[in-house]
Amino acid sequence: MKRKFNHPEKSSAELTGPRYWRSLDELSETPGFQAQVEREFPEGADNLQGVDRRSFFKLMAASFALGGVGLAAGCRRPEQHILPFSKSVDTNIPGLPLYFATSFPLRRQAIPLLAETHEGRPTKLEGNPTYAPHGGASSLLSQASVLELYDPERSSTSTIKGAAVTPAAVQDLLAAIGKEAAANAGAGLAFLAGQSSSPTRAALIAKIKKAYPKAIWSEYEAVQDEAPQAAALATFGKHVKPYYQFAKAKRVVAIDSDFFASESGSIFYAREFSKARRVKKATDPMNRLYAVESNFTLVGSMADHRLRLAASHMTAFAAALAAKVTGDASFEELATGLTFKDQEKWLEACADDLKAHRGECIVVAGSHLPAEAHAIAYAMNVALGNVGKTVDFLAVPADTSASIGELAVAINQGDVKTLVVLGGNPAYDAPADLRFADLLAKVPQVVRYGYYVDETSKLAGAHINAAHYLESWGDARTADGTIVPVQPMIMPLFNGLTELEVLARISGSDVTDSYTLVFNTITALAGGDANEAFRKFLHDGLLAGTAYKVTEVGLSPTTFGALLVEGTKLETLSADNLEVRFTFDHKVDDGRFANNGWLQECPDPITKIAWDNAILISPRLAKELNIDPKGSLLQVARKDLANIEKGIEKAFIGEITVNGVTVRGPLHIQPGLPNYTLILPLGYGRTVSGHVGQDVGFDFYPARTSATLSFVTGAKLVIVPDEYYSLANTQEHWSMEGRALVREGNYEEYQKEPGFAAAIGLEAEAPPIYGDMTPEQLSKLPEEERAKITAERAVAIPRGNSLYKTPEFDGTHQWGMSIDLNTCIGCNACVVACQAENNIPIVGKDQVIRGREMHWIRLDRYYSDGNIDAAAFGGEGNREIPEDPQTSLQPVGCQHCELAPCETVCPVNATVHDEEGLNVMAYNRCIGTRYCANNCPYKVRRFNYFDWNKRRTDELYLGPLGESGMPELVKMVKNPDVTVRMRGVMEKCTYCVQRIEQGKIKQKVKAGASGDVVVPDGSIRTACQQVCPAESIVFGNIKDTESAVSKAKAREQDYALLGYLNIRPRTTYLAKLRNPNEEMPDYASLPLSRKEYNTKNHPGHSEEGAPAAKEEHGHTAINAQTFGGLS
Amino acid sequence: MSYIFPKSANKLPLQIIIYVIVLGSILSAATTYYWTNKYSNVGYAPVQPVPFSHALHNGQLGIDCRYCHSNVEKSGHSNIPTSQTCMNCHNQVKTDSPLLAPIRESYASGKPVQWVKIHQVPDYVYFNHSVHVSRGVSCVECHGQINQMDVVHQAKPLSMSFCLDCHRAPEKALRDPSLVTQLDWKHPGGEQGQLEQGTKFKHNWNVKPPQSCSGCHR
Repeated sequence: MKRKFNHPEKSSAELTGPRYWRSLDELSETPGFQAQVEREFPEGADNLQGVDRRSFFKLMAASFALGGVGLAAGCRRPEQHILPFSKSVDTNIPGLPLYFATSFPLRRQAIPLLAETHEGRPTKLEGNPTYAPHGGASSLLSQASVLELYDPERSSTSTIKGAAVTPAAVQDLLAAIGKEAAANAGAGLAFLAGQSSSPTRAALIAKIKKAYPKAIWSEYEAVQDEAPQAAALATFGKHVKPYYQFAKAKRVVAIDSDFFASESGSIFYAREFSKARRVKKATDPMNRLYAVESNFTLVGSMADHRLRLAASHMTAFAAALAAKVTGDASFEELATGLTFKDQEKWLEACADDLKAHRGECIVVAGSHLPAEAHAIAYAMNVALGNVGKTVDFLAVPADTSASIGELAVAINQGDVKTLVVLGGNPAYDAPADLRFADLLAKVPQVVRYGYYVDETSKLAGAHINAAHYLESWGDARTADGTIVPVQPMIMPLFNGLTELEVLARISGSDVTDSYTLVFNTITALAGGDANEAFRKFLHDGLLAGTAYKVTEVGLSPTTFGALLVEGTKLETLSADNLEVRFTFDHKVDDGRFANNGWLQECPDPITKIAWDNAILISPRLAKELNIDPKGSLLQVARKDLANIEKGIEKAFIGEITVNGVTVRGPLHIQPGLPNYTLILPLGYGRTVSGHVGQDVGFDFYPARTSATLSFVTGAKLVIVPDEYYSLANTQEHWSMEGRALVREGNYEEYQKEPGFAAAIGLEAEAPPIYGDMTPEQLSKLPEEERAKITAERAVAIPRGNSLYKTPEFDGTHQWGMSIDLNTCIGCNACVVACQAENNIPIVGKDQVIRGREMHWIRLDRYYSDGNIDAAAFGGEGNREIPEDPQTSLQPVGCQHCELAPCETVCPVNATVHDEEGLNVMAYNRCIGTRYCANNCPYKVRRFNYFDWNKRRTDELYLGPLGESGMPELVKMVKNPDVTVRMRGVMEKCTYCVQRIEQGKIKQKVKAGASGDVVVPDGSIRTACQQVCPAESIVFGNIKDTESAVSKAKAREQDYALLGYLNIRPRTTYLAKLRNPNEEMPDYASLPLSRKEYNTKNHPGHSEEGAPAAKEEHGHTAINAQTFGGLS
Repeated sequence: MSYIFPKSANKLPLQIIIYVIVLGSILSAATTYYWTNKYSNVGYAPVQPVPFSHALHNGQLGIDCRYCHSNVEKSGHSNIPTSQTCMNCHNQVKTDSPLLAPIRESYASGKPVQWVKIHQVPDYVYFNHSVHVSRGVSCVECHGQINQMDVVHQAKPLSMSFCLDCHRAPEKALRDPSLVTQLDWKHPGGEQGQLEQGTKFKHNWNVKPPQSCSGCHR
């Protein structure tokens, strides 16, 4: 049984429910959930299937006896060889990684990267710090893209009519296509490609268009991540795209825009937004974010004011806001029919706030919205004087490609004899009304160029094997237009071709190798000495000065008016007339990353569902559909109905009829959605993919037509009776029993009382448990003083009455981390960066359901709705599922407690402290008792229940009958500096100990015969810190009072998670701030989580929690002696 | 009244004694084995594809260790020289020695020479050469008198206790970094002189060899 910490007894009011809730179950405090928080691991995680512990030991005793016989005889070390190069290779030093600049191209945006290669194989990608707008950050998808390179199920050969062919045969095929096109000016030839920003590709397309004027060049992307060009063209009469400067914006209105994750340029946006969000001292300004959303996104979770609104009402909303902002009554017409709660007041207050910050605010519309919404948003930015200040318009080349619809028409007319499909997967993701799979059958010759053998390849006559971008020469542009290289790190593993090569061969060009093509493009642009310029380009990883030029724009009234002339009629939505909003999955994008295990296993930041997508419905709709019969007892009810246990989400199956098509999928009730909007995440339900991506989730593309790419109304939802589906939902796993986990305050409160976080939580109400000052008293000291105290405490740990001997903390450095909850956007990039750096395996859906996921860092998502009042705490009213929750996100990894509870219980000393304050794990000592995980209050330890690295996730239970061993290709992605763990050992966050040691060694080598061994601040960065676009994670030496981490920890909002346990975590958090507008109808004088905290802990007092209340809480006092504190 | 124990229980004391003796002898045999040099591979001297003599090249000719092991000061691994490194001299000297045939072949074909690895620590040990040599720990401490070996053999056990012995008392091994490749060098002051100087270096250079897991295991 798990060790229980001495949490204070709950008050009568407390007994009826917790403050924060991570799931509906937790909110309702069902007995099932209670049982779960008491457990060390989620139920089922530590059960062996079919065999109980006793019979297991009986079986094992026999095998151990047998094994012992063999042990003495010959476990000799096998002979190993060292194979040096035959000829010395310049720059290659065995054992040291090399870094090359490259970039991850995705649609029209590339992310500049530095690839870490070990003996010629790329293992880890980092953002390229030379590209200033990203400052070395990167994204979730780019982090995971390296896994794709080593995917054993990637296409490994080109095929013609199903038979594998040599690269020479492919070249002949392409040349033949080119020859035929040259003969008849390209008649009958058509291309369908994905979007790209590559200048070299653009040049090749121009060449093809010139040589084969009758050929059709069409582009299609299922995902729209850029505002439609038509909007800017109509508004300004120019081909421009908006580029936002969030760092300069004090007020932001996001109209259904998830600019943290789903828009082109999102890394830059997240980074700039956090700059305006971060407050280091009370005088710092803080931005304010209004979000109007049809889906619950990361922007919505950050928002100070969030409004739920159907996607089809967004244009009307934009118009209504524009009417207030510009004072132009003509906008009001477009807003006819728009209704939401407190509409007038909301719009008025928001518009006033914007008007008070002219030139310092941004109105941004989501790229999936119709051109009208964008045009109105542009008009608002113009009216507010933001253009040229917070909103830049960049001149971009006009998109001259045909649409997939035009291509479909040509095919139907029989005009297309040869179709070359470059990338993409139109047979899977093209609009359903085009029936693209049928269209492919009508084309005599379909040549498919793709990285995977997928739905489209199956229908194509020829499949050309594509090279990964880490195997290709290429170029691309970042969101702001800067040209960046795509540089190969390794020879194509399966002789794949690059897209440039395919196009060059078809174009009949003399130059067909992509290196020369790129070299020619870049050197022509750069000028000067060609070789020198190209070398610099590759070295820097960008071509300076090639960003799109900022253009002056002015409203062009006629075209703008013409665009807005048709006011769309707003439909009143109801349970019988639902709206469907198609969104793209946070991880698999449009489905292209479906076979990437890292991404599949990463839980969605909001729903926390891994390995699946689900139809998201609002609590209100759930009630009306009667799948929520008993309010928030919902999950209990569902458990009764579905007969489930163990906290697995058994979801009802729903059937949606829309656009004349019926699709089905599991229903997940998502607080914070508009009442009658259904969210259908796309990208799942792939039928032809690898074993990771195939048959995972549900395919909603069949319901999506050309006219309804992002949303459609008129949908009906029917519940399929007696059918359920298990979702791997991690929201209840690793729940912490504790108090004041996420601490939040309002900006106004912070300005008055910067140390508010220290006044929350049990340690604030107890006598000092460490030193002679409570955290609250400590927070009142000047910053330098606090940094000094922290540094002193890091080394001179008063162990008080502790019987357990910890090492002297006498190391040169003392490592610590600070995580700023105020700027964390919850993008999950740290989760996958950690996975890539630390060789963390994936476990598969079945095992995630059992709570065995291995992520070393997790993102906890808490909801709070503030609707708790002590008197009615257990009443029906409080048991409704809140419709407008506030969200708090918190990344949690090992906290590296100085007095770590895991260490005291390890029977074999496998987890101990080192002299620099790291809680280290010696895998070879670990015998897998799991006592440490049992005793960890943060639940951050992960156990290898299987040999994840050697077994396929679907063959885990086959034992000796299953295949064992890691495919050679998969071995290549492993970081050679980190041990690959085997079955039966515990693991957890190490603060990237390999990076720490490498940093220290580097410094010591430099020091040589001198004493200069202190690592300079900032030279060691953990993987999560390096990837973070919001710079929320700071790591370093807390012994040095001048280090960034010491300064972060010395800020008043600093607090320790479960600080009252006196285990002294080295990771501490900076409290989250919210900046609500007093004039707004949903203004809350305290964050909702604080409201709940106060209501529960200080019932009967004002919501501010009068200090007098503290005296009554005798039961909360902790005896300092109990915890071995300094007295 | 029936007996509580069956009659066969009478043999139990004898059986226990026999079991204890058998178990004891297995145990002592095992520990003896695991403590021997055989287990730690001391003396392991496999046949190499080319009978390269360190005694000749380093001991007699005085070629510095770092001429061939050129990255030892930069990388965790001390590299084995490429065939090209050998050919730097051997395209002049002993150009047609049959013993050097594998080297010439490798240099011509581009295929590596398959040297047999002698000094080996387990995969979970991240030993780093660069930090040791640049902080004044000589090659000789772990590799022994390589400069006198015609056939290289493993001289030290390279076990964890071997590492820790030095990490706990680095003063026994610290010398001026410029002397690390002089394998015959001994402190003129003898053991006492070494200790005194080592203690001084340890203090001045801020030498704190890690003794906890994180130093070597990741």
